[in-house]
Amino acid sequence: MQTRVWDIGTDIGGTFTDIIAVESASNETRIAKVPSRPDAPVRAMLEALAAVGLGANDVRRFVHGTTRVTNALVEERLPRVALVATAGFEDVLEIARYRREELYRLDIRPKAPPLVPPALCFGVKERLDHTGAVVEPLPEAEIERLIAWLKANEVQSVAICLLHSYANPVHEKMLAERLEGVVPHLCVSHEINPEAREYERASSTAFNAAAMPIAVEYLTELEEKLPLGAGLQVFHSAGAMVPVPAVKRRPLVMAMSGPAAGVSASARLARDLGRPRVLTFDMGGTTTDVCLIVDGAAEMTDTRMMGGRPLRQPMLAVHSIGAGGGSIVSLGPGGLTVGPKSAGSVPGPACYGRGGDRPTITDANAVLGYLDPEARLGDTIQLDVEAARRFIAPIAKSLGLGLTETALGIVKVANASMARALRRVTVERGVDGRDCTLLAFGGGGPMHATGLADIYGLKEIVVPAASSAFSALGCLTADFSFLQQRTVRMPLNGFPQAAFAERVGELVKEATTPLIANGIAERDIAIEHVALMRYAAQSDSIPIGFAMPLDTAVLEADFHRRHQQLFGYATGESCVIESVRVQAVKASMTPFSRPDVGRPPVTERVRDCVFEGGQPVSTAIIARETLTATVSGPAIIEDAWSTVVVPPGWQARADDLGNLFLNRSAA
Amino acid sequence: MSTLDPFVVEVIRHGLSAAAEEMSLVMTRSARSPLLREAGDLSSAITDAEGGLVGQGRDIPIHLGAMAYTIRELLKACPASGMKEGDAIIYNVGALGGNHLNDVKVARPVFVDGKLIAFALSLAHWPDVGGTWPGSYLARAVDTFQEAIRIPPLPIASSAGVNRPVLDFILANVRDPVSCEGDLMAQLAATTAAERRIREMCAQYGTQTFVDTMARLHDLSEAEMRAAIADLPDGIYEGEDFLDDGGPNGEPSRIHVKIEIRGDEATFDLSGSADKVSTFCNTTPFIARSAVVYAARIMSGRDMQQNAGALRPITIITRPGSILEPGWNAAVAAGNHETSMRVVDAIFLAMESVIPEKLSAGGPATSGLLAFAEPMPDQSWRMLYEVHGGGEGARHDRDGCPATRVHLANTSNTPAEVIEANYAIRVERQAIRRDSGGRGRHKGGDGVIRSYRVLAPSMWLTTCVERTVMPTYGLSGGEPGKPYVVTLERDGATEPLAGKANLLLKAGDLVTLEGCGGGGFGDPATQVQ
Repeated sequence: MQTRVWDIGTDIGGTFTDIIAVESASNETRIAKVPSRPDAPVRAMLEALAAVGLGANDVRRFVHGTTRVTNALVEERLPRVALVATAGFEDVLEIARYRREELYRLDIRPKAPPLVPPALCFGVKERLDHTGAVVEPLPEAEIERLIAWLKANEVQSVAICLLHSYANPVHEKMLAERLEGVVPHLCVSHEINPEAREYERASSTAFNAAAMPIAVEYLTELEEKLPLGAGLQVFHSAGAMVPVPAVKRRPLVMAMSGPAAGVSASARLARDLGRPRVLTFDMGGTTTDVCLIVDGAAEMTDTRMMGGRPLRQPMLAVHSIGAGGGSIVSLGPGGLTVGPKSAGSVPGPACYGRGGDRPTITDANAVLGYLDPEARLGDTIQLDVEAARRFIAPIAKSLGLGLTETALGIVKVANASMARALRRVTVERGVDGRDCTLLAFGGGGPMHATGLADIYGLKEIVVPAASSAFSALGCLTADFSFLQQRTVRMPLNGFPQAAFAERVGELVKEATTPLIANGIAERDIAIEHVALMRYAAQSDSIPIGFAMPLDTAVLEADFHRRHQQLFGYATGESCVIESVRVQAVKASMTPFSRPDVGRPPVTERVRDCVFEGGQPVSTAIIARETLTATVSGPAIIEDAWSTVVVPPGWQARADDLGNLFLNRSAA
Repeated sequence: MSTLDPFVVEVIRHGLSAAAEEMSLVMTRSARSPLLREAGDLSSAITDAEGGLVGQGRDIPIHLGAMAYTIRELLKACPASGMKEGDAIIYNVGALGGNHLNDVKVARPVFVDGKLIAFALSLAHWPDVGGTWPGSYLARAVDTFQEAIRIPPLPIASSAGVNRPVLDFILANVRDPVSCEGDLMAQLAATTAAERRIREMCAQYGTQTFVDTMARLHDLSEAEMRAAIADLPDGIYEGEDFLDDGGPNGEPSRIHVKIEIRGDEATFDLSGSADKVSTFCNTTPFIARSAVVYAARIMSGRDMQQNAGALRPITIITRPGSILEPGWNAAVAAGNHETSMRVVDAIFLAMESVIPEKLSAGGPATSGLLAFAEPMPDQSWRMLYEVHGGGEGARHDRDGCPATRVHLANTSNTPAEVIEANYAIRVERQAIRRDSGGRGRHKGGDGVIRSYRVLAPSMWLTTCVERTVMPTYGLSGGEPGKPYVVTLERDGATEPLAGKANLLLKAGDLVTLEGCGGGGFGDPATQVQ
């Protein structure tokens, strides 16, 4: 019997670890869900493998997404990290940018405390200017002083971030060479994030340094338990896979690993289904992630806040809001609000019967009959619809409305806050969201999709096959890629062609090296170039794709057009290429078949549900596996882990792979 | 209106906030001036057809408070009957709900089916609006004519496009016309974006529902504010704080408040404040109001909507001829962000003994502004307008945060790497000013230190820094923090600079600002380690 024929994707979430396995010859697909083990993540992965009937020896390729490393940092479980900065700028992390998110709250701290405490920040005398010219050289004595200090302070990991190192890394390189072997872990800002703005670069580099000890320990254990060599891969925040050795040096790339995997699977599906514009809608228990996909490619962003600190690197532009099924509903003098407080996974919504005593969005869904009262979630939670009613009743009373009317209202308000998130990702890219297809997954996505579509004016919803383990699927079907971005600040007027080509060449090398080192042939690697462009006087840049050799006239015209599209105007001012991003890609074409969820199908029956309009209607409950013809709402389509709500006026059909398509019925 | 679906109200409220946030996004992403794009000195709002604020971005509290009046007052001068679809109006004068001349407003009436439904309002701090001194901040300005160009309501755009003669007239009177034109285009684009969203909401929910909802939002805010005031014990409370200078002989200027809480209504009488001052620290009554409403909201400890209805249960009194109502021709450039803060401080000190747990001790209640203007070879100017934070005041349950902005201010610093790439300045140091926070059971936060080396042959500097003489206050026995200090090092000698000054710098000069520490909270003998 042939061994090592299975390709595995897993997504390690806070509550569950999802796994999807595809047999390479037959495309047989298996899915499972097991409880996560935050203290023993590798063990949870092996348990997930067992849950799909496989062992380590069956695996050919194992790709996983996890936010474990960044969660550890956000939860302040930090190793002993030091920051080395230009003398006079040691406090860069503590000063930050002043601006606060909450304008009218004195009770909360206006900003997060620095990731590295002041006592572990060290200044070295040296100075460059913004062109990269050395203003003050780095003396040998400074390096020795630093080494002595690091040894005395027993530092585990060091982040080096010197002023203007994006323009010239000379001093950072000198320090890195001399510190090799002095400290267990080390990273330099010109490699992690070679872009201007010292606070954002230092913050990202410190994040990476803090993640290194955790990531190395965890990935090394994984390599021992799953000795697959190049077959062991990690999903990175920019939406593709990367080999383990590269992640050990840059664990920062795992920051948004899980959500990015879901988006990546969505991009693949958007291409397969031929949908030019897709909005992903991944609604979980405490957060909802949305992302825009145009022409099969997810939009990218440069910065996101993580625990109140900026993390800057090219990432999929996943926008998260703090509203999910567990968001608490409250009624004040100003009206009804949903979130931002959440019941979390413990105690969870009132209807989970684990001591939750505040009404949540999930409770409203339970009152409306959308959740199966017989269901046992994750084999442990028995739904208690009565509890949901009990805690929503006081709100209904205050509003002078009926219970179900109130529950409908709560769902509507929740959908409005989701619509705001969708608007955010579409307007940032100059796209009219109403032309998009909504791709709904995660626990709550398929339940809220039609309501959200109604509020936002969307016409089509797709609930993908394997919607409950969609991020795991993304790990499996994604491309292999690595990318690098750097500040270049070159004006198109008097463009330095040769210097530009040289810089692009360096970036191509940096992006392709990790792939080649992992056994991928250079000829199989495609290179994508993006210029981040702005008018000379602006500071925000917008991404414009280009081909080498660069035709500046084409680039300039593309920029003006895009600016017009985004902001409604364009001028004749001179433009600048602020940064260049290069992505090396090896395309993946892992096929998969209709998944076998490995569980008994849901029994078909009828239940009373309430939809817009108010009266309970007898609603067909349909097992997702059995759906072949088009069904008209009202209907509830269930599988072992998710619920798709099809209200009156909507209809649903399935394709051969098990994807569901929801549209408004013809009038 | 009693049939209004409460959930539709909430959905539209989300939509209004989203539209205002979208306006600010368009501004920061496409504006030219570093002050807008790096520091974010701009605000966005949506009002109903009468000018009552209904939606706002997460911007600058002082702007957002004053914007409650910016359309209202405009409508008195320019009746709605003269407005047409596609119009946009530009203005900056104080009398029309203004604050200072640098904050240029673009208002767009939004029509649906030919009927005026709402206004989209974009406010942006232009780096220079002409006047005596580059940057338009003249510490000793006798009146507003010396400060800057005054723009009465002018049609900057119509359905036919941008009104070029008006634009050209304005650009001919500012020192960085290229940046200003780009910024203005961004403001117009922002108001257009809001117009689109408002029309979409009207199409989806019905125009009448949308209009009724805006009215309902005012009522809800009023209810919230009444509930917040009712939480405060009835009584009369007095408090005062002082600006560093501005008196007839340069002595500190008093800001005084007498607060009367009765049931769910409150009166804030600011008549006891100083007469009109001799510096640019006078301000408009709109700014005094904005500061009062901010303080009322923050003392409530509630997460409330700041719509026009929130103003209804509050009476605010200012005295004509005083620093808070000095007449429309008085110099007001700095009062916007300095004097307004002292109004908040006076209110906090009035309430110190009543609700100490809702307050924080004194913090960097100033812009801490250093504005550098560099003359360019083509006779235009390049302007760096840089604010400096300090240590937040401590609270009853925690230390103050270092290096931040407080209350009405919320603009950012400009990164050293951006400053050096754009201006002939080297930032030689930016550090935390250790041990500058006041002692207490909880300590005040520490301020910042930043040093700027001039690399150009000459530069024109404006300082606009408060809390250099009058330090931040502690609460409940906590000690004050260290005050702001500004110094100039020239040819080896270091001299102190006044907190409000205009002076010429030369190559090699080093200007250093040390930001204040926050006040402590509680007896230092009981300090929490």
